Amino acid sequence: MFCVHCGTLQPPSADYYQFFGLKRGLALDAPELQRRFYELSRKLHPDRFTRKAAREQQYSLDATAILNDGYRALRDPLARAEYLLKQEGFDVGEQRGKDVPPELLEEVFELNMAIEELRHGGEDARGQLEEAYGRFLAMRDAIDKELDTLYRRFDDTRDRAVLQQVRSVLNRRRYVRNLVNEVEKELAPEGQPAQ
Amino acid sequence: MAYSNKVLDHYNNPRNVGALDRNDQQVGTGMVGAPECGDVMKLQVKVNPETGIIEDAKFKTFGCGSAIASSSLATEMLKGKTVDEALEIKNTVIVNELALPPVKIHCSVLAEDAIKAAIADYKKKNSVGNPAAAQVAQ
Repeated sequence: MFCVHCGTLQPPSADYYQFFGLKRGLALDAPELQRRFYELSRKLHPDRFTRKAAREQQYSLDATAILNDGYRALRDPLARAEYLLKQEGFDVGEQRGKDVPPELLEEVFELNMAIEELRHGGEDARGQLEEAYGRFLAMRDAIDKELDTLYRRFDDTRDRAVLQQVRSVLNRRRYVRNLVNEVEKELAPEGQPAQ
Repeated sequence: MAYSNKVLDHYNNPRNVGALDRNDQQVGTGMVGAPECGDVMKLQVKVNPETGIIEDAKFKTFGCGSAIASSSLATEMLKGKTVDEALEIKNTVIVNELALPPVKIHCSVLAEDAIKAAIADYKKKNSVGNPAAAQVAQ
């Protein structure tokens, strides 16, 4: 990022992996990323460039923006996978559920029905919701384990078929996350008063 | 973001909310979803087997106002159409009718997908337009 000869700041790379000097992969050494983030934050801080040329000052601003966006994207395993998938030319966050298994849709639908009942004060629904909440948390944990395995497999094999699987598991994960949030909102004591 | 009056109208007074008996031979059920926004949409049609005309349509959608309005409008449009006419319904009609902004176009796409899924389910049940499948089933 800095010229090896004159030490001036060069235009920063917009590729997060390159920016942090990390190997492109789905599994990532989190403490190492954090270490580099702090180190780069110090080196690139715009305050250090106030007496430098205008061009270098601009690079430092650019670099700081990439630093923060990149850190946010890479430190979160889900955002990281989305970033890498996008780089590899996959459609990510596409708002159609083609990869969602029908059983999951059915389950999501039923749970939403239960949430609606609870909203209308049905106490029977509360037990159903609590049970569903536990089930969805367990589902989320299982998905995270599955992702972890897939991440390692991709890093080992660089097989695009694995990325395809990652993409579909991520879609599933989003649904489950939304459900967990939705149920938490309903179960919160400050929500609807018990009838 | 402000919703158009038409979206608000369908959102506040959704048409045809409810369910049809999914085990009924005449009923086709489509269940679709958008994981990104957590939306799920169930749309059902009841077809007259003699005429192929959709006599009833119901929906239940969990999602944003635009998703609810899109599916509500879809059920209104479906009634009185034949199953083949129903397959011609494009999401752009819904977009125009509801004046959906670009960020909400996917809601209309979801409604179109739901129509297609419901009709496909009906056809599968009745093996319409797919004689090969009917033969295999026998």
